[in-house]
Amino acid sequence: MLTAALVIGALLAVAAVWFVARPFLGREPDVLPAEPPPERLALEEERDRALAALKDLEFDHRTGKISDDDYRGLVGDLRRDAAEALKALDRGTPRADARVPD
Amino acid sequence: MPELGRAALVVCFGLALYAVVAGFWGAHTRRRRLSRSAQNALVAAFASTLVASVVLLVALARSDFAFSYVAQHTSRELPMPYKLASFYGGQEGSLLLWLLVLTGYSTAAVLLDRKAGRELVVWVVPVLGVVATFFSMLVVFVASPFHTQLANVDGAGLNSSLQSPYFQIHPPMLYLGYVGLTVPFAFAMGALLSGRTDERWIVATRRWTLAAWMFLGVGQLLGAKWAYEEVGWGGYYAWDPVENAALMPWLAATAFLHSVMVQEKKGMLKVWNMLLVMLAFSLSLFGTFLTRSGVLNSIHSFTESSIGPWFLGFICFVVAASLALLFYRLPMLRAKTKLESLVSREATFLYNNLLLVALCLTILWGVTFPILSEAVRGEAVTVGRPYYNFFFRSFGLPLLLLMGIGPLIAWRRASLSSLKRIFFGPTVFALAVGILLIALGAGSSLPGLIAYTFSAFVAATIVLEFARGTAARRTLSGDSVPRAFTSLIARNRRRYGGYVVHAAIVLLAIGIAGSSAYNTSRSARLGPGQSLKLRDYTLVYRGVTNTRSANAIEERATIDVYRGGSRIAVMHPGKNDYPVEQQVSNEVAIRSDWLTGEDLFLITEQVNGNGTIDFKAIINPLVNMIWLAGLVFVLGSVITLWPDAREEQRLAIRYGRLARAPEPQA
Amino acid sequence: MIALSVAAVLAVFLLYSSIAGGGTPSLRPSSLTGHSGKVSVTGVVLKPVTGDAHGAGLRFRLRDKNGTARVPVVYKGTVPDAFKAGGDIVVDGRFANGVFTAIPGTLITKCPSKYTPKQTT
Repeated sequence: MLTAALVIGALLAVAAVWFVARPFLGREPDVLPAEPPPERLALEEERDRALAALKDLEFDHRTGKISDDDYRGLVGDLRRDAAEALKALDRGTPRADARVPD
Repeated sequence: MPELGRAALVVCFGLALYAVVAGFWGAHTRRRRLSRSAQNALVAAFASTLVASVVLLVALARSDFAFSYVAQHTSRELPMPYKLASFYGGQEGSLLLWLLVLTGYSTAAVLLDRKAGRELVVWVVPVLGVVATFFSMLVVFVASPFHTQLANVDGAGLNSSLQSPYFQIHPPMLYLGYVGLTVPFAFAMGALLSGRTDERWIVATRRWTLAAWMFLGVGQLLGAKWAYEEVGWGGYYAWDPVENAALMPWLAATAFLHSVMVQEKKGMLKVWNMLLVMLAFSLSLFGTFLTRSGVLNSIHSFTESSIGPWFLGFICFVVAASLALLFYRLPMLRAKTKLESLVSREATFLYNNLLLVALCLTILWGVTFPILSEAVRGEAVTVGRPYYNFFFRSFGLPLLLLMGIGPLIAWRRASLSSLKRIFFGPTVFALAVGILLIALGAGSSLPGLIAYTFSAFVAATIVLEFARGTAARRTLSGDSVPRAFTSLIARNRRRYGGYVVHAAIVLLAIGIAGSSAYNTSRSARLGPGQSLKLRDYTLVYRGVTNTRSANAIEERATIDVYRGGSRIAVMHPGKNDYPVEQQVSNEVAIRSDWLTGEDLFLITEQVNGNGTIDFKAIINPLVNMIWLAGLVFVLGSVITLWPDAREEQRLAIRYGRLARAPEPQA
Repeated sequence: MIALSVAAVLAVFLLYSSIAGGGTPSLRPSSLTGHSGKVSVTGVVLKPVTGDAHGAGLRFRLRDKNGTARVPVVYKGTVPDAFKAGGDIVVDGRFANGVFTAIPGTLITKCPSKYTPKQTT
């Protein structure tokens, strides 16, 4: 019993050490991949938010929660917000990414 | 074998510590290999804990009484399922279970969350490592499950009240909930540490939070059902500190789940969300601290248990460190948008949050008051049920109403005319129901009546939402009603899953209102042949029987139940006597009426020498709504949790793919 | 801003309500003298336990958990399963003329906490 425990224990420790040391044996560069700057992400989130707000408005209108009058009043604002967000994103990007989420 | 268990836990402790040190250093210096190594250490820690857990399970199954833990919590005649379930029946084993679930969740969260982005995960790993280090430290140095002793002939056995199928499921569910709250906390701290204030930490943890919240909710309902059937006083929740310990983090998590929606849509409440996730996690730690440390019996018994001070220290550390970090990053979290109108969906979410947090803090105050008053005045003052009931109603009823209002109000601002139009139908319906209920006698309890009326209102709004959505879908796609219905839900899982969860809460409210505001009871001492009348039931006592089971002597009173002149049931309330554990347990008899949802609850309080019994009968109207609510709750949560391919792709583009390919810019 | 003010109001309200009333002093047999109102007493049940909780009343003495002071208790109402001599209980009632008369149905046995270290009996 004790020897079995010792053997399994030793195997476990060895396996753990190997697994933890593995990354140091690899060939890839040691630097974390660069990520888009926070400003870019913020702009993207802004754009997604504006587009989602439009989508919500459409949905609420279609399901009858928002009357036609209210819809007409709100949709202009939201469309403007979305357009501004898209423009800001285009300005902020070096390459013109016309990536639309849906 | 215990040596293997001990060794595995020491390895786990070492790995967790390494994950902390290497993780922080690697993240700080942006060294990929070190960070990856730390992440591997966390995964290896899970494997180690798994080995230790298997060792304990095997020892329990084989009744190896050389393990002190096995001897203390099991006995030879104990049925196998309970032998295995005793894994978490005691202090040391339950800590091991916590560690197992923690390392399991950590591994899964860190490996599966591609969309989280590497820059966030490298900070999340050491935070998870800190929590894992604490718990592995406890099981290695303070409360080891692998103490050995001279093997006894037989063990002490399992507490009779724990010998119930509920014991097999309630604690694991609760732990999946409690421990699950660590994941959003770690991601939140990771976001603060990485200096990134974008939403990815929320996006990455939404499902984890939902799952933990679901498990915690289900765990509590299971606990309530267990108390209802097993402890048998006719109720299901006693505002006991141990019960409150699970309710508080659940309320905080509920608030969090709602307010993150506001952050997602409007970019507001960033600081509030950070505070909420810290509160939820701290409360889950605090909850388990309360249950384990014995601090609630009296402040003096606090030091009797060795585990208490450690937990308290860790909680203080967590709260202090996370608040400090939040304060440090505060400038980055300031939102640009403000609340536009007090009558908007954002505003209702805010009110909902305020009420939930207020209820949570009220309960916290009630739980800690005895400790604080004893420390200050030398005399422990306990708050009783009236305190909790008062605040539960004061905050809970408006919350119920808000559940119906929120989904119907538009974002940003709602005009008065649209409000009038939308709420007209449900309000009329609710008032009609209210009047009908008064006619039926529900006016005897004002809170109950209000609860029912509000529930009717919310139910109407939910039904209307589904109806309107299905109709809109049909005009778009021309599908039949069933197809439109299912595709509506499939395309809007979060929204409609949420509505199903709200429906579950409505059922819960109805069940709680019915069984607490409108229940009736009666006690009597009955001789054979004598009867007791309660409302429309007549209960006739026939006699007592005694039978032997595997490990108990079962004493049962035979009661014939009559209604409307005919016998509808024979029930057997009684008691079990467990000779090994020297305990007696109350075995109540419950008859659930499926048509009305009410329960006939019979308790044999005392069997007297002269052949009479002291007997109590209770009618709990609508109590089965509570258990039904549990099922609907799970259904709603699962719908909301269900992966949505389109949404996944969109988020992957935003966070995942961008992160993988480095940008060719300065 | 709104949130802070609401929270402040709430805090004041809570403090007031908890200090003003609703709390029941939680005492030990040794500290019962001087309290005439409704209190909660906690302690260890001593043998012998006589009488009938559903009849004329269950009688036993309650001792301080960490002391020797004891008080006779008369209790009527539901008795939880875990109740036995040597166990810890909490019960509400009034102390008068050297006897603690319990309020029916308020007897609670402390959950035999599976987490506290096993005491050697």
